[in-house]
Amino acid sequence: MVKLDRINLSNEGLTKFFSPIEAQIMEVLWTNQESTTPDITEKTGIPLSSVAGTLDRLVKAGYAKRAVDKSGNRVRYLYSATESMDNTANTITKKVLDSLVDTFGKVAIENFHTYHGKK
Amino acid sequence: MFSITQEIDCYITCITGSDLLPLIGIQAFLALLLFTFYLKARKPVLRISSFIAAQLFMISVIGTIVSAMQCSQMLTIEIYTAYVILSTVIIMLLPRVYYKILIRRHGAQPITDIMDWPQAFVNNLTEGAKVYYYDSAVPGAFASGKSIFLSLGMLELMDDSELKAVLAHEVWHIRHNNKTPVLRQLSLMTFTKNHSEDELEVLADVFAGKIVSETAVESARAKLE
Repeated sequence: MVKLDRINLSNEGLTKFFSPIEAQIMEVLWTNQESTTPDITEKTGIPLSSVAGTLDRLVKAGYAKRAVDKSGNRVRYLYSATESMDNTANTITKKVLDSLVDTFGKVAIENFHTYHGKK
Repeated sequence: MFSITQEIDCYITCITGSDLLPLIGIQAFLALLLFTFYLKARKPVLRISSFIAAQLFMISVIGTIVSAMQCSQMLTIEIYTAYVILSTVIIMLLPRVYYKILIRRHGAQPITDIMDWPQAFVNNLTEGAKVYYYDSAVPGAFASGKSIFLSLGMLELMDDSELKAVLAHEVWHIRHNNKTPVLRQLSLMTFTKNHSEDELEVLADVFAGKIVSETAVESARAKLE
């Protein structure tokens, strides 16, 4: 889950901020409107035993949301991402920047300016 | 002033000098014999029965030792008596309130809010039991008091016959829930680990197999493994 103390800069892509399973699930949710649990297990290739607990955590953390679909004789969850990938990236970036400014103050801001200038 | 070595000396002196020594020996031997039988037995009913019988003999050994004691103010006996009273009260009262804690902890809702047949199915098997569901993708089912809890993940995962098998399994636990605290209390009183849980699960599966079908039980088990 995206916790600043668990950000791993040496990892690749989204796994810097999410665990590998969370990242795979979020990618499915960002690229699909609504997904059922079997959809997610099929598209990620991750077994239900790992997916189910991770989905609970993603919902609790607010990155995913789910509705109970009672159509027909069965009940099932329909999952979707709470925010688009861009908005989530925005939220994570803000968190990281806030943390850097809180910790390093001026030095962090000067580096942002240098970085901005280079861009 | 309490001294453990002094208490041990008291036990040795009183027991060896007591007329009850042969009885203590017989009870201890029978307890050991029944524990051995428990370890060898394969059938769940025999395993549970022998384990309970062994524990009862252990309690009778403790009781006989206490009655053989001539020394006054034995602190170890007083502590053990207080431990037995306290644990009995807690173990017997807990099931009466614990299901309420579970309802609150899981934010459980009556299953009739989303589907009717599971409650009707349970009503046919036992009186006064209520089925709840709770919000979790992790497949889970358990019973406490006269309540059955199913996660929504379980409702998603199982087909109707498998879900009936799960419900029947939990109904068996409800039907026998007055015995489970006794088993726990026996383990606490004899300081033995409660080994009966696995056997109880097997017996609940046997019941579910009779009520629904063995295929449904096996299929539900396979999905959860």
